[in-house]
Amino acid sequence: MDVRAQIVMVFNLDKCIGCHTCSISCKNIWTDRKGAEYMWWNNVETKPGIGYPKNWENQERFKGGWVKDGNQLKLRALGKGPTLANMFFQPNMPKIDDYYEPFDFDYGNLAGAKEGNDQPVAEAFSQVSGKKIDEIQGGPNWDDDLSGSRIYAANDPNLKDKKVIESYSSMFMQYLPRICNHCLNPACAASCPSRAIYKRGEDGVVLVDQEVCKGWRFCTSACPYKKVYFNWNSGKAEKCIFCYPRVESGQCNACAHSCVGRIRYVGVLLYDAEAVEAAALNEDRDLVDAHRALILDPQDPAVQEGARKNGVPEQWLESAVKSPVYALVKEFAVALPLHPEFRTVPMTYYIPSLSPVLSTWGDTHKLLEHGMIPALETLRVPVGYLASLLSGGNEGIIEEVLKKLIALRVFMRSENLKLPADPAVLAEAGLDLEGTKRLYRLCTTASYQERFIIPPQQREEQDPELRKQQAGFGILKKTRGGK
Amino acid sequence: MLNSLIFIALPYMALALVLLVTPYRFLSNRLTWSAYSTQFLERKMLFWGINPWHYGIIPVLAAHIVGFAFPNQVKAFLGNQETLLIVESFGLGLGLFAVIGSLVLLLRRANSGMLKRVTFTGDWLVLYLLLFQAATGIYISYFLRWGSAWYLHTAVPYLWSVVSFDPQLAYVTDLPLVVKLHAAGAFLIVAVLPFTKLVHMLYLPVDFLKDPPLLYRWRSK
Repeated sequence: MDVRAQIVMVFNLDKCIGCHTCSISCKNIWTDRKGAEYMWWNNVETKPGIGYPKNWENQERFKGGWVKDGNQLKLRALGKGPTLANMFFQPNMPKIDDYYEPFDFDYGNLAGAKEGNDQPVAEAFSQVSGKKIDEIQGGPNWDDDLSGSRIYAANDPNLKDKKVIESYSSMFMQYLPRICNHCLNPACAASCPSRAIYKRGEDGVVLVDQEVCKGWRFCTSACPYKKVYFNWNSGKAEKCIFCYPRVESGQCNACAHSCVGRIRYVGVLLYDAEAVEAAALNEDRDLVDAHRALILDPQDPAVQEGARKNGVPEQWLESAVKSPVYALVKEFAVALPLHPEFRTVPMTYYIPSLSPVLSTWGDTHKLLEHGMIPALETLRVPVGYLASLLSGGNEGIIEEVLKKLIALRVFMRSENLKLPADPAVLAEAGLDLEGTKRLYRLCTTASYQERFIIPPQQREEQDPELRKQQAGFGILKKTRGGK
Repeated sequence: MLNSLIFIALPYMALALVLLVTPYRFLSNRLTWSAYSTQFLERKMLFWGINPWHYGIIPVLAAHIVGFAFPNQVKAFLGNQETLLIVESFGLGLGLFAVIGSLVLLLRRANSGMLKRVTFTGDWLVLYLLLFQAATGIYISYFLRWGSAWYLHTAVPYLWSVVSFDPQLAYVTDLPLVVKLHAAGAFLIVAVLPFTKLVHMLYLPVDFLKDPPLLYRWRSK
C-alpha cells in the first residue's frame, strides 16, 4: 500500500444551473491572454450535447485516453516510436475549428466612428487573425440549453435513442461543468515526449512545466477530456492548474468559490498509488468499483500509518477525515467519475442529476398521485445515458445512486412538510437516518467551511527561493513578438 | 575577398554565435524554446509542407555530418560506382522532398490569414534561408555530380581546418560559385539558429523512450 493524498473536487450536477460563472472567473484569472483566448480550463456543457471542443468524447477521432492491451495499458494514440515519427505533424491534434475562432468586438468604433447617417456598431473581429468576422461560427457553449439540438445534442455519443430529445414530452437537459480531472493515470503526461507534464506528489495536481514543454502537441489529443490546450502564441501546452496558487494558500479554487449554485466540494482523498494501474485494467463496467476501492478510509489506522510514512502531514490527515469529498465519493457512494472507461482514473467526481425531476409525459406524469417525486422506473432521464457518462455503461451503479438521491428527496420532503416520513424508504436505498441528515446538509445548506476543507500547506516554509522557478504556466516572461 | 568572407569570417561568426548565444538563451529564457507549431491554426497545407521538409532534410543533413565526422570510412564506403550512384540518387530524391516542403511552407505562411500574427521576421528569414539552402543543394546534386565523393575531399578537410583554428582556403577556393553560396547558406543558418525557432533541433526528445509513462515531482524528495 502506497498511500498518497490528492485534493479532489466533486460536482453536484443536480444543483448546476448552467450560469457559466465558474468559466468566467477562471478565464478572468488564468486565460485572459493572447494565445489563450479560446482556452476554457473550466467550461460548462449542456447535456445532451457535443460539448467543448466539439465531439470531445469521440475517441475514434481524437484517440485520447488508454486502452487495454492484454494485461497492460497503452495509449490509444501512438506508441513511442510512432510518436517520434509523427512529431512534425501530429495526426490526432484538434484544430482551432474544433473549438472556435476566438473573437472580440471593436468597441472603439462606437465612440470613434465618423459622423454618418447610421448608428456605429461594434463589429466582431478574430482574436487570431485580427480580421473582421462577418458571421461568428461558434463559441465555447454554442449548443447551450439544447440550442440546435438536431445537429448538436442528436450527435451526443451517450444518447442511444435520438428520439428522446425530439419531443417535448420526453426531452431532458442537464449541465456538465468540467475542469481538468487531475487524473491518477494521466494520458497527457504519458504522451509527452519532452516529459514536461508531471503530477505533483503531494497534492496530485497535474501541471505543464512551461520551461520544459517544447510544443510537440501530443498531450492535446492524448487527454481524452480535451483539457490540455495549445497556446498558439507561446507555442506551448497549457491546462487547468487546479488554482494551485490559491489552494496552497488555503483559498478554494476560483471556479468553486464563485459557484452560484454551490455545487462544488473540495477536499482531500487518500488513495493507494500502487493499485492504480491494476484498477484501470478492469472491465468497463467494473471501473467505478475499482475507483472506489482505490480510495482509502482516512480513519483506518493502517492507512494513517502508511500516509505518515509517505510524508503526508498531520493536518492533511485531519482534513481527509473531515473531507466532504470522501463522504460523497466513498461513504455515501453517490459521486461518480466522468467517463471512467477512458482509463485515466480521473479525480473529479460527479453526483448524477435527476433533472428534470419529472417522468415522461403521460400516465406516470400525474405528480400528485406519485407523490411529486417520480420513482426511478419512471424518471425521464434515461439511466443508460447517465451510465454512459458516469459509470462505463454499468446501469446498476447509476440505479443505486439515483435510488439514494430519490429516497433522500422523498424522505426529507415529507419531514420538511411535517408529513409522515417513512425511514423504510431510506433503508431500501441503503441509507440510514443519521447519514441521510448529513447527506442532506451537504447537498443543501452546507456552508463554505463545510464544502471546502482545504488543508494548509505552509509552502512559505518550504524553500520559497527554489519554488519560485517552478511555475505551471508562463506569463511573466516575454514570449515571441515582444508582448 | 568573397572567399575570406564566406570561408573565414562567416564560419567563425557562426561558431561564436551558436556557442555563446545558445546557452545564454537556454539559461535566460527557456520559455521561447519551442518549435512554435502552427498546426493548430492551419493544418491542410502544413501536412504537405512539414512532412516532406523534415523527412527530406534530416537524412541529408545527417549524411553531411557523417561525412564530416568519419571521412575515411565514408570514402571507403563510397569506393565503388554502384554505391555512389545509389547514395547520390537517394540524396537527390530527399533533396527534392526538402525543396518542395520548404516551398510549400513558405507559400503557406504567405497565404494563410490565420498565420499573420504568429509570423515574425525570424520565421521568414528561416524559411528563405532553408529554401535557398535546399535549392542550391539540389542544383549541386544534379549539375555537379558525385558531390558525396568530392565533398569528402574539399569541404570536409576545409571544415576540419576551421574547427582546428587553422583555416585552409586552398581546399575550397576553386569550387564553383554555387557551392560557395551553399556553404555561405550553411554558415548563416548556424548563425541564426540560436536566435530563431531553429533551436528546436537542438533538443531531441528521447528521454520519454526509456522513462516510465508517468512523471511525479515531489517538493520534498
